[in-house]
Formats: sequence, structure tokens, C-alpha cells
Amino acid sequence: MGDDSNIGRRDVLKATGAGALVVTAGCVSTTDDTATPTETDAGGGGGDDDTATPTDGDDMNEGPYSIGMVNSLTGSLSAFGQRNERGMELALADVNETTINGRELDIIVEDSESQAQSGVSAAQKLVNQDGVPFVIGAVGSGVSLSIYESVIQGTDVVQLSQNSTSPDLTNFPGLLRMSPTGSTQSTALSDIIAEDGYDSVAMAWVNNDYGQGLAETFRSEWDGDIAYDQPHDQGQSSYSSTVSGMANSEADAWLFITYQPEFTAMAQEAFSNGYEAQFYGADSVQGSDVLDNTPEGSLDGMKVVVPSAAVSQENYQNFAAEFESEYGESPTSWSAFAYDCVVTAALSIATADEFTGAALQETVRDVTRPEGQEVFTFAEAMEVLGEDGTPSDIDYQGVSGPIDFDENGDPVGFLQILTVDGHEYTQTGTISG
Amino acid sequence: MSVLEFLANGLVFSSIIVLSSIGLSLVYSIADFANFAHGDTMTVGAYAALVTFGFVGALGGEVLGLPLGFFVALAVGVGVAAVVAVVTHKLVYEPLDVDSIGLLITSIGVAFVYRAVIQLGFGTGFIEFEITLLRPIEALLPYGIRMTLHDVAIVVSAAVLVAGLHTLLQYTDLGRKMRATADNPSLARVSGIRTGRIELWTWIIGAGLAGAGGVFLGLYNNISPRMGFNILLVVFAAVILGGIGSVYGAMAGGFLIGMINQLTPLLPRLGQELPLIPESFGIPIGIEYANAIAFLIMVAVLLLRPSGIAGEEAT
Repeated sequence: MGDDSNIGRRDVLKATGAGALVVTAGCVSTTDDTATPTETDAGGGGGDDDTATPTDGDDMNEGPYSIGMVNSLTGSLSAFGQRNERGMELALADVNETTINGRELDIIVEDSESQAQSGVSAAQKLVNQDGVPFVIGAVGSGVSLSIYESVIQGTDVVQLSQNSTSPDLTNFPGLLRMSPTGSTQSTALSDIIAEDGYDSVAMAWVNNDYGQGLAETFRSEWDGDIAYDQPHDQGQSSYSSTVSGMANSEADAWLFITYQPEFTAMAQEAFSNGYEAQFYGADSVQGSDVLDNTPEGSLDGMKVVVPSAAVSQENYQNFAAEFESEYGESPTSWSAFAYDCVVTAALSIATADEFTGAALQETVRDVTRPEGQEVFTFAEAMEVLGEDGTPSDIDYQGVSGPIDFDENGDPVGFLQILTVDGHEYTQTGTISG
Repeated sequence: MSVLEFLANGLVFSSIIVLSSIGLSLVYSIADFANFAHGDTMTVGAYAALVTFGFVGALGGEVLGLPLGFFVALAVGVGVAAVVAVVTHKLVYEPLDVDSIGLLITSIGVAFVYRAVIQLGFGTGFIEFEITLLRPIEALLPYGIRMTLHDVAIVVSAAVLVAGLHTLLQYTDLGRKMRATADNPSLARVSGIRTGRIELWTWIIGAGLAGAGGVFLGLYNNISPRMGFNILLVVFAAVILGGIGSVYGAMAGGFLIGMINQLTPLLPRLGQELPLIPESFGIPIGIEYANAIAFLIMVAVLLLRPSGIAGEEAT
């Protein structure tokens, strides 16, 4: 009995020690170079068991503002997670160089493991334990929605997804996102094909959520005739029937919403069958592998729309240069989205009356919308805002595009049109909307 | 709109399926298990040919729009596939003392190993033989048939290989011994046939044909690590439809399944294409169900003839 209680107490001590260690470790790794404790003004407050982190009163004004981020550090979307991480680091450095009226920004990063369940736990920890009023998250559309529905909905906390593109998210106005919905591609394609003077189109789409979603939007946007509208499965050994079907539909414009290997097989088939048509494609059919494996000249004139950062803007070029010098490779649109998430969060904090979810809800959309002065960097924005600027004084133009959140919490899509010319992709235009 | 065009597509695709099915059926008849690594053996052959073609591609001369180097590469692909299969047989299947289900599961593992090794060496992307794609043959265009010389090459090569196999099985000593071993291994052994050696030959021929199928599939489509695995289910359908273990059944099954697969787009418009049927008649089904239709027909045939088309005839 005596022994038992002895062991029991020791176990408790061990557990407590380990717990404290974990909490401390978390503190060190997430607070950017400062040992200053995390401040939590918002509802919920510091967790009860958070004893290793001394929490100060509401009137503390020097500590950093803490917001949360749910990212896919592991799991099937970890490649995106890594790019996000880099975009976030660069943005954090830029924000903290200027500071938000003298205070720094701190981001507590949690891993979603690219899965809904882990994502929800991560968000719960951020909102209930760390008490952050602003959560950036998540990558996968399913994860973002689960977090919104089980943690965010019904609270004042702002959620801004960095990378989710599913058209479904449009139905949740409270859930903001930085990456444009995939359906903007369909809209853009429909406009381009109509502009090129075609009134009949043959559309082949890959038989999964992605292909179905884009094809559905295209059907509702396209006013002309769809002479061929058939799905195909991924990884088939032959796509002759798809190509023959498209050719027999007698449409002169062929639209491909599929993946690179499938599209390559179809393009080869069309070439060796001697079919000529004007090709169009969604971003997933574009890549150097496609050009390498199709005959020279067979794709000439093909038009592809790809989501794009604002590549011609100076702020993007600076971002890209900085990214390259830091990580040795050029950034993708996904890291640009993460960058803009952090800057938008910082601007909404800077213009809010207080650091609470309710106050941030008031400002987060307005800082990116027109009718303010267009600003391209965080430093520039802070200069325009001065001591007591309001959110409508600025219109942040992100490195990923104009943003301009609409009533559904979606940004304005920014797309590049690439045309194949001399068996190479050349940019022939941009579309926003 | 031409039915002939779809028939031509079907003929080319069938040739590839036939090459793969007879190998699979041959191995089944003698080694006595369904070899799930067969698809990845095709992939091995395709990659071996790809590498070889990189060295000998420039070899002059042209047959059916293909440089002579391609045929050298084809031979190497066949050889490498056979060697890999024999080594696997010696290292894995032979020492294993399990029943045919055990061997079947083992062969799935072997398939993963083949594919993993290929992915290690070549990555997961897709690639193409460096052969200029051809335009359709002008002379056939008026009939609505759009075939390139490469398509003709695939069909002709498949026909030559099938005829060769037929000759081997029917008219040579080795063929007779193979048929005897397939029929009754114990009886074959007591009558003095070295069944172990026959089994080796079966692996060489079966895997070699798979390798050839892989090379042609690569020429027809693209080469990628999953190419063989992706086509394997269709090949199995062909083999079972024909009557598993029967080489001639596999030929018939392969031809049927390949044709059905490529003719699916005609189903919704049957009335317009066939005489004697009302114009508006059609089976409304999309091409994404092509494989499902092939399997449905397989089930239907098996209900009528449980042993498959040629199940009774032993080869």
C-alpha cells in the first residue's frame, strides 16, 4: 500500500515534469526568437494546465500578438505544408521588421497531419487552449471545412484557409480563404473559348471530385453547345475511345480537364489519328513532361489557364527573390498564398480596436478590399495607416493577387493564360475574377 | 462517324491484351498459380527496352515506321523480362513450400518489389520511346480507319508471336512436353519428362511474351511504373473469359475483351450504327464503364460455360 502510493506520486511527478517540458518546448519553438510569454487576450484565456507559461493580465502591451496556424506538416499534403511554412516564415520576418504598432506577431503552428480529425484537434488546441482569435488553416479542403464546422462556427474566431480550393467552401461565408476556388478556372476557360469564337466544345474530364467539380462549373458557365461531355478514369491503358469520341462530336474546340499522363496519351492519340482541333486545358494538364512526350508542334496554339501569383507585380518579384535566396528555389503560388495569409492577419490586427475575434472579424475583409489606398507591402500599409488608420484606408494587394474577399469569403482569382508556341508555354494574358 | 475506326482501335488494343494474356495463361497452366506479378513483368520489359533503345535507337533502317533499333530493344525487353521471371522463380516461388493461394499472395508482393525497383531507378513519372509519332496511313483514311504504321506493327508483331507460340506448342518436342506437363504433371514426370526444366521454359516464354506486351503497350501509350499493373485486371478478365490455363482460350478472351473495351462508345448509339435496329435504340452508358462492361460479359460467359470459352481443351 505504502509502496503503491509512493509509485503513484512518483508517476504523477514524472508526468507533470514531462508535461511542463512539452509546454516549455512548444513555447521556445513557436515564439519567434523572443522568450516573451504568449499573451492571450481573447475569450478562453490561457489553459488551466498551462502553468509553465506565465500569463500576464489583459493590460500587457509589449508582448507579441499570438495567432494560430494549422498546417499539413506531415501526411499526403506535406509538400504543400512545407511551402506554406516557408511563405509564412518570410511574411513573419517582414511583419516583425516593421512591427504592428510596436508589437510583434507570433504564430503558433500545429500539424493537421493532412487529416480532418487531427486538424480539428489542432484547431481546438489553438482556440481553446492558446485562445488565439485568428486561425490560419488548413491546406486540404476537407480539413478546412471540418475545422470550421466543429471548432470555428459559432465563435468570433477568424479562420482563413491558406490553400483550400474546393468550390464547396464558397457555401461557408464565415470561412475565408486565400487561394481562389477551382471553379474560377472553368469560368475563365469558358470565357476564353467563347472569345476565340467557338460555339461548340468537346469536353473530356477525369472521373473524380476534381474533374467533376470543374466540369460542372464549366457546364453552368458555358452558353454554347457541349458536343461531347464524357468522363474517363485515371491510369487507363488506352484513351482511343475518348479521342475518337471527341473527334466524332465535330466540335473544333477540345477542352481537357484531366492530369498530365492522361492528357499526354490523348494528345498523342489525336496526333497519330490525324485529328486537328484547338485544345484548351485546366492547370493540371500543363507541365514539361507533357511537352517532352508529345511531338513537336502537335500542341501549338493550346491554351491553358493556371492559378498564379501576381507575377508581374514588384512585390511578388521581391518575394520571389527573397524566397530564392533563402531556400534555393523559386516559390510556388501556394507559398504566396501562405505569405498573404500572414500579412492579411497582421493588417487586420493593426486596424482592429482590440485583439479579439469579434474585432478582427470587422477588419479582416476590409483591409484587402478596394476603396482604400492600394498598398503592396506590410511596411507600406503601416505607413499609410499611421497611428489610427481604419481598415478602409488600405487595399492590400498581395503577392498572390488582389485578394478582395467577396461576401463568400473567397478571393478574386488571379489566373495566367499560357499558350503553347513553338512547343513551349508562353504567357499570353492574365485574368482576374 | 465510323464503326471501322473503333474496330481498328479495338484490333490494336486487343493485340496487346492477347500478348499479355497468353503469357499469363501459360504460366498458370504449368506453374499452377495466378501470377499477379505478370503486369509488372510487362513494365520490366518496357523499361528494359526503353534503356536499350537509348543506346541503339539510332540504328538505321526502317520497318513499319520503326527503326531497326526498336526491334533490338524489343528483343532485349523480352530477354530481360524472361531473366527476371526465371530468377524470381528460382529465388522465390520454387523454394516456397505453399499452395497456389500462398504463391498468388507472394506474387502480389513480387509485383510491388518490381515496381518499387523501377520507381527507384526511373522515378514515378511517365516517359515515351524517342520515336517520332506517325500520322495515320493515307490509304485507309477514305474508309474512316485511322491507323498509323506503328499500329500495324503492333498487330503484325502480335500475330507473328502468337503464330510462333502455336507452332512451338503443336509441332515441337518442347511444346509436346509442355502440353503434357500442363495436362498431368505426375504422369509427365513418370514418362521421363523433366518437369522442372519444362517449368523453367514456361517462365521464359510466358514472361518473354509479357515483356513484348509491355514494350508494345509502351509504344501504344506511355511508359510508366504503373502501366503493367493498370492493365493487369483487364488481362485477368481475358484469361478467365478464355478459360484459365488454356493458351488458345486466352487468345480468344484477349481479343474479345480488347474489342469490347474499345467498342463501348458505340453502345449508346447502336441504332444509328447497326441495320435492322430502330434508329433511336441505344444503351446509355459512358466510356468510363468500359472495364465494367468487359467484366459483366466475362461473368455472363462464365455462367453459361463455367470453364470459359476454351476451358475443356487442354493445351
